Amino acid sequence: MVSEAIFETINRLLNTLVADSKLLNENEIYTEVSPENIKAACLNIYTNIDCVLIDLFGNDISPADKLQVYYTFAVRSSNTLITLYTNIEKADIMQLESISNEIPSAAFYEREIQDMYGLQFNAIPDSRELVHHGNFPLKVHPLRKDFKADTRLDFVKREQEFISVQGKGVFEVPVGPVHAGIIEPGHFRFSVAGEPIINLEAKLYYVHRGLEKLSENENYMKVLLFAERISGDETFTNSLAYCQAIEKLSGITYLPERALYSRVVFAELERICAHLGDISGLCVDTAYIFPAGQFAMLRRWILILCEQLTGSRFLRNSNKPGGLRRDFIRSNEKIIHECMDKLEKEFAETVTIIKNNGMFIDRVEHTGILTNEMAVDLNVVGPGGRASGIKTDVRKEFPYAAYQKLKFNIPEHSNCDVNCRMNVKIEEVQESISLIRQALEKMPEEGTVSVEIGELKPHAFAFGMTEAPRGENVHFVMTGENNTILRYKVRTPSFCNWPALCHAVKTNTLTDFPLINKSFNLSYAGNDL
Amino acid sequence: MLESILKLILQILITLLIAPFFTGVIRKMKARVQHRVGASVIQPYYDLIKLFKKDLVVSETASWIYNLAPYVYFISSVAAISCLPIVHGLTGFSFYTDLLIIVYLFVAGRIFMALAGLDTGSTFGGMGSSRELLVSALVEPALFIVIITVSARAEVASTNVPAIYEFLAGNTETAFTPMNILLSASMLMILIAESSRIPVDDPSTHLELTMVHEAMVLEYSGRHLAFIEMGSYIKQLVFMTFMANILIPVGFNVGNTFLEFGIYLVKVLVITILVGVVELNTVKFRLYSIPNFAVIALVISILGFLTGFILK
Repeated sequence: MVSEAIFETINRLLNTLVADSKLLNENEIYTEVSPENIKAACLNIYTNIDCVLIDLFGNDISPADKLQVYYTFAVRSSNTLITLYTNIEKADIMQLESISNEIPSAAFYEREIQDMYGLQFNAIPDSRELVHHGNFPLKVHPLRKDFKADTRLDFVKREQEFISVQGKGVFEVPVGPVHAGIIEPGHFRFSVAGEPIINLEAKLYYVHRGLEKLSENENYMKVLLFAERISGDETFTNSLAYCQAIEKLSGITYLPERALYSRVVFAELERICAHLGDISGLCVDTAYIFPAGQFAMLRRWILILCEQLTGSRFLRNSNKPGGLRRDFIRSNEKIIHECMDKLEKEFAETVTIIKNNGMFIDRVEHTGILTNEMAVDLNVVGPGGRASGIKTDVRKEFPYAAYQKLKFNIPEHSNCDVNCRMNVKIEEVQESISLIRQALEKMPEEGTVSVEIGELKPHAFAFGMTEAPRGENVHFVMTGENNTILRYKVRTPSFCNWPALCHAVKTNTLTDFPLINKSFNLSYAGNDL
Repeated sequence: MLESILKLILQILITLLIAPFFTGVIRKMKARVQHRVGASVIQPYYDLIKLFKKDLVVSETASWIYNLAPYVYFISSVAAISCLPIVHGLTGFSFYTDLLIIVYLFVAGRIFMALAGLDTGSTFGGMGSSRELLVSALVEPALFIVIITVSARAEVASTNVPAIYEFLAGNTETAFTPMNILLSASMLMILIAESSRIPVDDPSTHLELTMVHEAMVLEYSGRHLAFIEMGSYIKQLVFMTFMANILIPVGFNVGNTFLEFGIYLVKVLVITILVGVVELNTVKFRLYSIPNFAVIALVISILGFLTGFILK
């Protein structure tokens, strides 16, 4: 087993630093390291094993009076997750060495922990608040156990700090948080010299709902509802990641084949829907009316299909730990096939039209370049990463549902621009159509779509990973007593990709920002939680 | 004198009445292409009525310029359209009917709008103002060449509208000369740029950062906005009328004023549909590509000038 080999390698590498080490759920390695050594241990793993930092989060384990910090690395080449964790005694001033100078993608996680737990990271390159905004009182740390979820906070007024660019002719353009379209809130602070953008800072977290806090000590079935509401257009993939984590915790090793294939069908329907919306959005932003309407129409076909199958256009309440709530696909294979045939033909035709329009290609080509170097440093995931030469896909590397038994390609591009991201999405739609057909083909006729999952193991933990339309989606679940959830940490692809957007827009003109933004199409709610 | 005034009033009333219709037609075309039913072609009228009924929201930092600008814009557009009789039968009022005045009337309105855009202290206003002035400065040379070319014919030798109309009334066949065809092409591009249509600007976008004209007037509401919208509709009609009457004088002088009006409406509708077709088949330019567009319009107008006078 590869995971076991890695497990041994880690124990050998860290040697004396390891306080406790175990291999759980087949591919999850958990290693405890003391707070003094955690930075050295992380860097050791990061440099010696080919892995990326995919999650970094805190956990308050009251009443033990300790704070835990988890550093999760993914070895994408061999389906293994490495989690280093450390226990810090609770005190007024808690400190830990920052790793974001060496591992740049850690910066945002560390800032999140600073806000949520009051744990200070020493030598962090950017120590400003991430989650909290100008009306949030200082020294309040919501994810600590002594903070009650229904606390009414004082209203304060503080100035937000933004990096400001100095110089003659440099202006700041504040945009948002309330935008003209029906979109989510986010504040963008541009520093521009005329039209070209010198720097962009995004201030998000205006739709922070405290999902992680609300999940504390709730029954796992209730938390499923929270998972479905993380981000509207990623309902299924989020609930799937959560369900997979719960399934691991309940000790289920086998799910009915029908459930696995059904999950593939729904996850791919959701992906097609999201990508069609994105491509349509790119056309809207360039004022290309006909294909915009066309792609929006195709997207609507999928929504209608989802409603016919599950009764919910966004696939809510279709997933549950242990399988699906009902056998939605039975006797509906024909309408899915018909819809796919219709979609494939119309999609191919419309794509030919947009690819042959020189004016449109001129708008998207060489716009919003996110270099491969930058993308690697920030751990950009999903279509954004794939367009910048990072060939990664959870469906291949950490296979779930029935993806192992299906054939599909991951689009590979390296032009790094808006056009490239669009092409990745176009190809993924085609792959998804083929995946749905294969899944329907291979799905066994008989059998149920769910199993009873019984009691959850108390004080156990597991990761659930899925490939959301926007990219790698990581859910960490830790159980308490009586089927409750103690800690639910969600890391959506949007969290990884927001910083990348801010880098991709540099040197582009202000008028191109909406286009670049659309090419990533990140979720605000999915980031803010 | 009295007759002149009556004709002028009639001209203004008719143009006010028909101007919003053509925008409604373009919107309907766009909707149909997207398989949408779309709003009725007279929706712009409803919108105007709605806006007149609404309250004003005025920024605290706004000065008198902000409050005055919509009226200046509207009145300058109305003044511009009254320089260009829509049918031959309405030529008769000759207070100030000169083609060059039209350009300067638009400049007056635009300067006020640009100042008003800056006045509110909103970021988008200033951005829109600077972009709008850029676009208009770029297309102005082409517009001048077109005007000079149509006025410089030996038989006319004047930028006076009645003089030009008089010449055209006797020479409706000039519509099909290479000069007029080239000038019409240039004028269509100027029309697209000046009336903020795709590919220069996207009039229906919600994205403030990409807006040109809309960003400038973003802060306006209520009747102020209604006057600005109306001013824009009329401005668009001025360019269409210029094209329909001066560059394509087909059926310009059939004798019957009502028939002439009918022909005029058909021509303007054809131009509208042409603008709509361009809008449907193009994509909004990058901001830095707009100069190329303006230069092409200029080159075409110069070619028109050359074919009219030098290669005769």
